[in-house]
Amino acid sequence: MASSRSPRVLHNLQKLAVQTSRHPLFPRTPRVLPTSCAVRLSSTQSSPHQPPNSSVDPTEVSHFNALASSWWDPHGPSRLLHLMNPLRHEFITRCRTTVPITIPTTPSQLRYLDIGCGGGIFAESAARLPGTLSVTAIDPTPEVLKIAEAHRRRDPTLLVDGRLTYLNQSIEDLTPPTSPAEGYDVVTIFEVIEHVNAPGPFLERVLQHVKPGGWLVLSTIARTWTSWVVTNVVAEDVLGIVPKGTHDWEKYVNETELREWFGKRGWGSNGGMKTMGVVYVPGLGWKEVPGGEGWGNYFFGVRRDS
Amino acid sequence: MPPRLPLGAHRALSSPSVVQVQVRLQRRSASSSPTSSDIYDVVCVGGGPAGLSLLTGLRASPVTSGLKVALIEGQDLQKNRLQKDASLESFSNRCSSLTPASVRNLQEIGAWSHANTARIQPYQEMQVWDGVSDARISFDWDSARPLLSARKPSQPTTIAYMIENINTTTTLLSRLSELGGVDIFSPTKVESIELGTDAEQLDLSSWPILTLSNGKTLAARLLVGADGANSPVRTFAGIPSRGFDYNRHGVVASLKLEGPGWGGLDHKIAYQRFLPSGPLAMLPMPGNMAALVWSTTPERASKLKSLSPNDFVAMVNAGFRLSATDLEYLHTMPSGQEEEIAWREKHTPANERSIPMKVTDVQQGSVASFPLKMRHADVYTGERVALVGDAAHTIHPLAGQGLNQGQGDAAALVRTISHAVQTGQDIGSVLALESYNSERYAENNAMLGVCDKLHRLYSVESGPIVGLRSLGLRAVDAMGPLKGFFMDRAAGRA
Repeated sequence: MASSRSPRVLHNLQKLAVQTSRHPLFPRTPRVLPTSCAVRLSSTQSSPHQPPNSSVDPTEVSHFNALASSWWDPHGPSRLLHLMNPLRHEFITRCRTTVPITIPTTPSQLRYLDIGCGGGIFAESAARLPGTLSVTAIDPTPEVLKIAEAHRRRDPTLLVDGRLTYLNQSIEDLTPPTSPAEGYDVVTIFEVIEHVNAPGPFLERVLQHVKPGGWLVLSTIARTWTSWVVTNVVAEDVLGIVPKGTHDWEKYVNETELREWFGKRGWGSNGGMKTMGVVYVPGLGWKEVPGGEGWGNYFFGVRRDS
Repeated sequence: MPPRLPLGAHRALSSPSVVQVQVRLQRRSASSSPTSSDIYDVVCVGGGPAGLSLLTGLRASPVTSGLKVALIEGQDLQKNRLQKDASLESFSNRCSSLTPASVRNLQEIGAWSHANTARIQPYQEMQVWDGVSDARISFDWDSARPLLSARKPSQPTTIAYMIENINTTTTLLSRLSELGGVDIFSPTKVESIELGTDAEQLDLSSWPILTLSNGKTLAARLLVGADGANSPVRTFAGIPSRGFDYNRHGVVASLKLEGPGWGGLDHKIAYQRFLPSGPLAMLPMPGNMAALVWSTTPERASKLKSLSPNDFVAMVNAGFRLSATDLEYLHTMPSGQEEEIAWREKHTPANERSIPMKVTDVQQGSVASFPLKMRHADVYTGERVALVGDAAHTIHPLAGQGLNQGQGDAAALVRTISHAVQTGQDIGSVLALESYNSERYAENNAMLGVCDKLHRLYSVESGPIVGLRSLGLRAVDAMGPLKGFFMDRAAGRA
């Protein structure tokens, strides 16, 4: 079990993010705070230490504080996140355009909820799309949200009232919709759940924010021997660029586990679950790899049916 | 305790050469939200073929037609238009060879149908030879086919299209006015480009703010420099452009020949002879007309420009027929070239059907020259800046690729902007523009290099190099598939 991380480890995590920009399989910098213990998504494993609400770790806050200033640096630690961002939109479009015709179509002007928005890479881009009505973006780290707010001021498009709203909140604090129809058309959780203490309870809280017919879209990294070798052995032992124990490989969630978890809750029937495996190829950027969800980074989208 | 820096000092320190200007923002009621009147998504400086092609591409695509775009051009775009009833006996001396790839792009953005086709001359064959050894290569799609394979009906026959630059720009302007939606400032000059400021509500400190000669100020999400070799936009962005002068000038002229050419009106031929002083090219224009591009030393260029029309015509004919030594002597004569050449040609055997038909006349006032340079910007993009066309690169004209490179740039930048719009990126951000730079830089650099090497290769007058290059030329000529490869490259099909 990983204990709370020292600032030194966190500093190295940031370093990892810089160094990994050349590597396909490394997870990116976490945007939502990992807490003390690792629990898999599967219901057979649960954590006795899991608090009812995930709390914000002060050492993590200091880490994000340090990272904040470089969030929008195109060659900084968040470069891989920036490069991945267009794929997120392509995947969302793919999810929304392959809905079976029996499901009522969602409105043309979409409402987005971005959980763990960080500096706003995805939130800004979603708010710029012509088909977007509004984007609500939440993150528990105040410093990171300050960066997001400051960066938004650089684009007059994003200053249109109601277009983009940042909230310094965790998902637990977000006011639930008064009725299911008040939910969001698209709820996104990018590069977050691999760092979340208990993905199951976390996702459970997210569900209510998705409108029936809407999509929950996330991206993460598979827990397989390849990702274990790359992140734990190569990075930590061979290259030595990361201190041992930086990665909680056990926290990674597999696509099959997500399918099972959502299937049990009656989500994503009739082809309402989509996956896209991606890999970062140095010099070429992120590329889709059929079957990549089995061993590396992947996107997962699931539709709320009712 | 260290002294505290005044607010905003870091900004002033980080860009000492940039004067901060306050963007004039209209303030409405209590809120200080900016009106959108001065804020543009794309501001293109320069209304040449590259800039116009970019704007036409943006307006023609439903993905990018929602962008607010402006064009700033120092010349009067309305006055510099080709007249519909312009005489076919007279052509501008500023012509280009448009590759099929460039034409395809113009078709895709809906511009090509606006072209004055009577003034465009496609050509189907190209004859290139060594002025020292007479080694020759001929390009036509038929001889470039794979060995033993029959000619396919789908195989192209046109190598490229000769077109006046004014026809290209008029074509694009017609399409642009049909599409509408571009704020055109012409004739208007850019007085200054500076970075904006971090105001209370809106932080424009990364946005270029242009002050125009009509007093307007425009803020640009993306500023496109289509403003030529001495690009002020490139200077603003602090992007170095490197290269050298060839110490050569390109002499251009509009010529009239004794006939439409050896292949008739339906099979036009372009000719290029590599002389040690530089290549001499004759490109076919409609009817009996032709365009000349003679790359030569500055001294010879000014000599050619000073000649009487008769002597000039004789010199051009001699350029394709007489030896380099003869030509050297002829350039030293103050006048009387016509008679001297007539005498020398009698004693120089020539296969008339392998060289261009004789020039009979030169259009009055069409003889001009320009210095040849090679320049390449270190990078085509910066934060909220992209360079296209000559602002990014200047090439030796020997392969007629300059204008085509600009068209390729424009099409690539439209693709990059489209992708950014579709994925919600800020189209002026460094990351959004990266793909444009990576797509175009390497390709243009390769073409610049090839043309430069060709120039150098054929500047050699004697020695083993002449033998080797002749051998190489003859070898390529004999190998259809290899020739096809070169032709594909030249046609922009690679």
